[in-house]
Amino acid sequence: MKFSQFIGQEDAGLGLLLNAVDPRCGGLLLVGGRGSGKSTLARLARGIIPAHLPFVELPLNVTEESLLGGIDLEQTLASGRPVLQPGIISRANGGVVFVDDINLLSRELLALLMEPQSRGMEIIQREGLTEQRESSFVILATMNPEEGDLSPHLADRIGLCAVMEEQNGRDERLAIMRLAKETPFFTVEHDREAMDLISVARGLLPEVRFSAQALEHLQQVVQRNISPGHRGDLFLYHAARACAALQGAADVEKEHIDRVANLVFSHRRLQLREEEQNSTEPEQPHDQDQQQNNEQRDDQGEQPPPPENGQDENDRHPSGEGEHESTVSMGESAQREEIMGVGAPFKLRRLSFRKDRRKRQANGRRTRTRIKGRGGRYVKSLLSSTEHDIAIDATLRACAPFQKARNRQGMLKIEQDDLRFRQRERRMGHLVLFVVDGSGSMGARQRMMETKGAVQSLLLDCYQKRDKVAMIVFRKDRAELVLPPTASVELAARRLAELPVGGKTPLASGLLKTHRLVRRTSMHHPEQRILVVLITDGRGNQHLTPETRKEEVSNLAGLLMEEPQCDFIVIDTEHKGNFLRSDLAMDLARQLEAEYYTIEALKSEYLAGMVQARMPG
Amino acid sequence: MHFPFTAIVGQEQLKTALILNVIDPGVGGLLVMGEKGTAKSTAVRALAELLPQLTVVRECRFHCQPDAELCSFCQERKKEAPLTLGQRKMRVVELPLGITEDRLIGTLDIEHAIKQGEKRFEPGLLADANRNFLYVDEVNLLEDHIIDLLLDSAAMGVNSVEREGISFSHPARFILVGTMNPEEGDLRPQLLDRFGLCVQVSGLHGKEQRMDILRRKAAFDSDATAFGVQWREQQEELAQRIVDARERLNSVELTDSALEKIVTITSALQLDGHRADIVIMKSARALAAYRGLPDVGSAEIRDGALLALPHRQKRLPFEELGSERGRLERVLEESLP
Repeated sequence: MKFSQFIGQEDAGLGLLLNAVDPRCGGLLLVGGRGSGKSTLARLARGIIPAHLPFVELPLNVTEESLLGGIDLEQTLASGRPVLQPGIISRANGGVVFVDDINLLSRELLALLMEPQSRGMEIIQREGLTEQRESSFVILATMNPEEGDLSPHLADRIGLCAVMEEQNGRDERLAIMRLAKETPFFTVEHDREAMDLISVARGLLPEVRFSAQALEHLQQVVQRNISPGHRGDLFLYHAARACAALQGAADVEKEHIDRVANLVFSHRRLQLREEEQNSTEPEQPHDQDQQQNNEQRDDQGEQPPPPENGQDENDRHPSGEGEHESTVSMGESAQREEIMGVGAPFKLRRLSFRKDRRKRQANGRRTRTRIKGRGGRYVKSLLSSTEHDIAIDATLRACAPFQKARNRQGMLKIEQDDLRFRQRERRMGHLVLFVVDGSGSMGARQRMMETKGAVQSLLLDCYQKRDKVAMIVFRKDRAELVLPPTASVELAARRLAELPVGGKTPLASGLLKTHRLVRRTSMHHPEQRILVVLITDGRGNQHLTPETRKEEVSNLAGLLMEEPQCDFIVIDTEHKGNFLRSDLAMDLARQLEAEYYTIEALKSEYLAGMVQARMPG
Repeated sequence: MHFPFTAIVGQEQLKTALILNVIDPGVGGLLVMGEKGTAKSTAVRALAELLPQLTVVRECRFHCQPDAELCSFCQERKKEAPLTLGQRKMRVVELPLGITEDRLIGTLDIEHAIKQGEKRFEPGLLADANRNFLYVDEVNLLEDHIIDLLLDSAAMGVNSVEREGISFSHPARFILVGTMNPEEGDLRPQLLDRFGLCVQVSGLHGKEQRMDILRRKAAFDSDATAFGVQWREQQEELAQRIVDARERLNSVELTDSALEKIVTITSALQLDGHRADIVIMKSARALAAYRGLPDVGSAEIRDGALLALPHRQKRLPFEELGSERGRLERVLEESLP
């Protein structure tokens, strides 16, 4: 298949051409959903760059040594002195590095990839060897945002970004099928015409003039597209010139700038939104060099899809509803049991943890973590370690330069100092423990449905992050573990739907049960991080002890606080429009140092998200 | 000795889906959802057993196809002398749940490196899987990074390795068959989408059928050879039918009106991306070839869609798998009069 046969997605195609004309356009990031053709298009790029230029693929299995280069085992042995083997970055010099699913790669590796690109220089330091060489290459990357975010600071390093739009046009779909019919296996063919076009444009490029007027217009465009930093301006400048060259123009005109503005700013605007969102969480540091922060943002990406009927969530409070609810909650006697439907789920506020450096053995996607043991991705080798397995490849490379001195005959001689160890990495999920108030005070139909909707949304988030979930329900005279920790979020959703409501509110029992489960879990899995999501209006009315209800609850909260691996979220289900509001859940949240949300707050985040999604760009 | 494919009772959808993948590997694999003990792995093994031998480059670790893209080793050898060819049965390569990255994609041959001081690529499971079935039981329980690597190669048909000082790539075209029990955890929708077809299997409940299963299994267990002889004719007939279908595949007519029908279905279901269109098209075409038809008709599109769409439909969050089946059938009813 040829580049020019690709159907639709003009912006993405233009982005590729611009980079082929002038690498100073800074690379291209293709963002699109599954099956949108982003990887296909990126691979077709190989057919439009001259055959002598490298096109190096960076697979997901890459290790740090392979990216940067390292000791070449064979040549070092042969020559008796250390010889460097070029890594991907060196091999790509002057050409393209293609990274499919860039957001699945570790942040550290990406930082290592981007650094020489922005410095224009590659510095290799391996086993006492240092080499510097010039380095210039273009990054071509794809990502599916459903799979997680790309840290905005890394995204900012990539010059252009094209969002692959949903292509539901009937004619286009037909044309794509016709093409697929003819090409049973995908192979890339050279596209002569496109290459000719590029080479003509490359010839014109040095002559393309940027008039003062055009610069003026560029500034205006930059002003309109508020984006942090100045990288955008520069990329816009080069992209506009390349665009003019492609069209055979001697001067950059306004339309060239306008044509490429979206490519330059689509991901930078996103970045800005991200930062606005982050700034609402003041406890999180903002230093861009802080790895930790990058990691954390990375993990905020996966969000549930918007619900079908998200809109009417807002109009669901007919005035009569509140009264009805208050009568029930005041009575608290509701002995009847009922099973309410599950309210529509909504897009969630992003819940995430600060990345921690403790080593864990766990599996999931919420937080990336360094781990002990043998599972997970081998990312790089370390000099010393007591708890990692030996990285044989790195050990062999380390011992290679000394073989002559050690008088090797046949087998390699390996000494203690040569040993290198594997550092592995894996994303870690958490145990998310839902503690749900199922008492009569929750019994107002509307309230419970909304609560179920909230839990449902949180479950979706867990599903995408590979968390384990468990559920405790407290109602009538006791708390019950209705779902022991499981990886099946599906099962949790089913339990949730079946959840009956009615009876008194044994909040203390709920907390006690929670504490027991937390203790038990941390005994078996001392490294498991636990997120307790407490969903209640805080109005406990069932005592366990002779103490007052309030004391009892605060004692239990104190007990829970002693569990170091626990984080808490309190979702207050009390109707805040009600003049009898007690804000008891808020007190509890304070005692637990929990993040506190009302259902409305969770929801408004969702609505805010909707608004943002509709912003142009 | 394997249980004969043709002697498997029921599970027609599963059998058809497997056969379509053999006729056109471009269909893109199969995800089997369902309970244990429903002849899933038996069916895959039995089908591999039934198929005619592949022509391969002799002594190639990747069983290269002589007339297709070769691995780096074969390319080198070809320069020196014409490649010697051999015949090989298609195999079922199993991917165990606890597999490590090294074992999957291949790694540095350590023994060779220590003894000879040379680096050599030690092929992994993806090398074994080339041109074979790759069977992953409980694919939803695989570690995430393993699934990512697996699907990466499955999508491109190539395994590129960049680690441990090794830079190597080889063809990795396999028919991916995954099984999962949704109760034990989900698969990300992005990953679901990578499987070409999806069938749901359940135990058979008809008394008659259960009796058949018992009878056949008992006969096979007491004398596998005699049982094999009994089924030989059906086996050979099916093998021939598959071979014929493969040959006919490219001459099957796919009219514009057939393509229109496919788009009508996928638009009505508001499916994202283009994989759904393409997979329906390919499976409908393979079905027509299998049925010996000159062109793709409504029946093939319908049956192709029933295999290609169960896992691609938009589900409400946590809506049970299978509940959208009714929606699919309604749309098919309307789109394919």
